[in-house]
Amino acid sequence: MVMVNGEQESGVIGQTIAEFLKQRNAPIDNIVVEQNGTIVHRSEFDTTKIGENDKLELISFVGGG
Amino acid sequence: MQEPEIQGMSYDDVYLGMKERNVKGSADKLTAAHVTIAGAGGLGSNIAIALTRIGIGHLTLVDFDTVELSNLNRQQFKLSQVDMPKVVALKQNLQEFNPFVEIKIHQVKVTHDNVKELFADADIITEAFDNPAAKAMLLDAASEFYPDKPIVMGTGMAGVHSSNTITTKHPRENLYIAGDGESMGAEGLMAPRVMIAAGHEANMITRLILGDTEI
Repeated sequence: MVMVNGEQESGVIGQTIAEFLKQRNAPIDNIVVEQNGTIVHRSEFDTTKIGENDKLELISFVGGG
Repeated sequence: MQEPEIQGMSYDDVYLGMKERNVKGSADKLTAAHVTIAGAGGLGSNIAIALTRIGIGHLTLVDFDTVELSNLNRQQFKLSQVDMPKVVALKQNLQEFNPFVEIKIHQVKVTHDNVKELFADADIITEAFDNPAAKAMLLDAASEFYPDKPIVMGTGMAGVHSSNTITTKHPRENLYIAGDGESMGAEGLMAPRVMIAAGHEANMITRLILGDTEI
């Protein structure tokens, strides 16, 4: 079971972080991804895969300052 | 030998008098602290002023941009400073508020490639950008190069929504994010609400300097 921001998510095991964000139509440039407590660096989005029992946190930013 | 004077007052009177209403026991920690602020706009200029007024020792300001008329509804610049580099204008203003702060400026765009160098001497990394991709880039790079340094960020302070929706969150160790998390700059950004978020960031920075890591 994969948890994303505290909610169960199915059908994502084996996807890369890049594929996962693209499928959700997430604004990839504005997001930092934490996988099991560790930040996945942007340069690793294409190679890091989502595994069984992973906990993902998506830290999203909006414009303004 | 003549004693040094500031505005016709003795150096010591000014130095001590300006700290008189600060929280007791805060002076030494504040004087020793070095905060680097990425972005000198609505968030950054207001955060810098707050930290300068309370007598932070060392401040580094980083921003590539120049002052525009459209900045003046929320950023701490003057009409007379339009077209000046923001970091130059802000340093000028800060020195008028408190001449005892050591202020370094860098007129560059922050990228993944220069984060390591720009924040090397910072105790606390402060994100004060407008652009959401720049915010994400800085958190990504800071967590790579300086995972042990606290980073204080802002997201969501647009419009005229309730003040009370702006909070400080602490989603992981060393990460603090102020804002409502959702209001986007495109709906308009105005001084009152931007200053609330800047106040959240500045107060969190102050708490960290004084040794409190809780929000």
